Amino acid sequence: MKVTGTVWKFPQDDISTDQIRRKIYAHLPLTEQAKHCLEGIDPEFAEKVNSGDILVAGKNFGCGSSTSAYASIMKLGIAAVVAESFGRIFFRNSISGGLLVIGCPGILEFLTSGDRIEVDTVVGQIRNLATGQILKSAPFPDVLREMAELGGEKPYLKARLASK
Amino acid sequence: MKMAGMHALHKILMEHAKPKRMSVMPGEFLEIEPDVFAVGVGLNPEDLGQLETDLAELGVKEFPPRDKIFAFLDHGAPAPSAGIAAAHKRWLEFFRARGITVTDGGAGISHLILPERGLVAPGTVIALADSHTPTMGAVGAFAAPVAGGTLSLFALGRCWMDAPQVNLVKIEGRLQRDVFARDVALHINGCLGQHGAQDKAVEFSGSYVRDLSMDMRFTLCNMGTEIGSAASYIQPDSTTLDWVGGRVKKPFKVFDTDPDFAYEETHEFDISRLRPQVAAPHAPDNVKPVEEVEGRHVDQAYLGSCASGRLEDIVVAAEILKGRKVHPNVRFIVTPGSREVLRAATRLGYIEVLHEANAIVTNAGCGACPGLHGGILAPGEVAITCTTRNFEGRMGTGAEIYLASPATVAASAVEGRIASPLRYL
Repeated sequence: MKVTGTVWKFPQDDISTDQIRRKIYAHLPLTEQAKHCLEGIDPEFAEKVNSGDILVAGKNFGCGSSTSAYASIMKLGIAAVVAESFGRIFFRNSISGGLLVIGCPGILEFLTSGDRIEVDTVVGQIRNLATGQILKSAPFPDVLREMAELGGEKPYLKARLASK
Repeated sequence: MKMAGMHALHKILMEHAKPKRMSVMPGEFLEIEPDVFAVGVGLNPEDLGQLETDLAELGVKEFPPRDKIFAFLDHGAPAPSAGIAAAHKRWLEFFRARGITVTDGGAGISHLILPERGLVAPGTVIALADSHTPTMGAVGAFAAPVAGGTLSLFALGRCWMDAPQVNLVKIEGRLQRDVFARDVALHINGCLGQHGAQDKAVEFSGSYVRDLSMDMRFTLCNMGTEIGSAASYIQPDSTTLDWVGGRVKKPFKVFDTDPDFAYEETHEFDISRLRPQVAAPHAPDNVKPVEEVEGRHVDQAYLGSCASGRLEDIVVAAEILKGRKVHPNVRFIVTPGSREVLRAATRLGYIEVLHEANAIVTNAGCGACPGLHGGILAPGEVAITCTTRNFEGRMGTGAEIYLASPATVAASAVEGRIASPLRYL
């Protein structure tokens, strides 16, 4: 899978799911929730970000609570999240839900906000489209690769049930 | 070729793999059929709509392992707002229509109820859609948060779990009088950091753990989540077997770790000289001795959660509050972790002591820990709590949370500022 987009960089480590989507918004319609995405760090982020943009973050992005905070990121139309590393539950919930998440040590140094990049999950690399520079991304572990390539847990299960 | 030694957690996973496995490599994913699959009653009707659509698309009409699925009404219960009430209603209807057991809004937290009801036995696999699931590893189970996999569990009764590498945390020594298991957990959290066991499992052992009660073993294992671990584990011993003896009805099997198993990392702690600890805002690994923040005013003191909402926690707080009053400028809120805890604390007279001291005792549940109700903080307010984590905004935007032991929380409730519990014990 290849995705091209403009980078929004959140250089902090340990951005929790509570910061991605505060629990006080958990009962609201998903489109409403998304308007508050990451508001504690950048109150205007949801307004400024465009569909197809790519979020870049530090270590342990999405740590903490197992809530489906990834849904807020998806609702904003964000094409992918590339981070130094991810919180375990958030990473897998995202893949299941169909949000493209890629671990990529060194990504913070490699990019700045506004850069155009190409994420290639097959080759496993991030390419800065302005400079042509390439950074290798971490491979998906085991079954998660197939799930990510198919677009989530539902298509994965569909394929599996069809093959039986 | 001789096989490398295996950890008990890996043996538990192999036993639950479909098909059953004779070996597994760390990092490898297995198709696992857990003994228990548990979920929370949701907070959003749209999430349920999506789940229903997905299940219909997959042609799933009935859940295969109906007697293994449990739903918990523990977050934001009873509902604090019309919005959450509407969501609860939709989810409750969904579960009840499918014959799934749902707890009532005062039964308490999933992580307490499952072991109390004997559903978590040594050697079992527990898949619960909540980040603090490692808590139940104190019983010697493989208890891992459902991370992706909810749909698979509803559709197939199975999900994919990876065999984690395992770190060993050895704790030796005896605590001083004013220091508790929660202080040990905070100390280790501070030393190892939020990424200290990222994606790995963590086993707790050593003379300190051997002498520890089950209540406090749960507290220790709960902290595994805050160092990023996939599961916590304590090898079952006579304390475990005594505790599960009256509760677990089905036969179970205790798995042992091979003597030649190679731990990924080993960390040793001697806690004999440890002083009471706090995790200062806004990270659970921002840990320091209480002395360094003593005197900081607090607006709220809070006792509860799956980390520290058990009988022993309430006993310590009640002993400190006996014959004393909560400071007039402080709300001291006590949310027992489960109805079993609340009933025992009532029967033994501790709840009466708390009422006498002007504490606010709520129904059992997650309470204010996830910031949904029952003690939400205003911007600028400061709380001392023994909840699970103190991320920015967790219990209220713009507020500060200091994590501490129930003793430190109770002492601070009396003084209206962060206080060491020593003079009350």
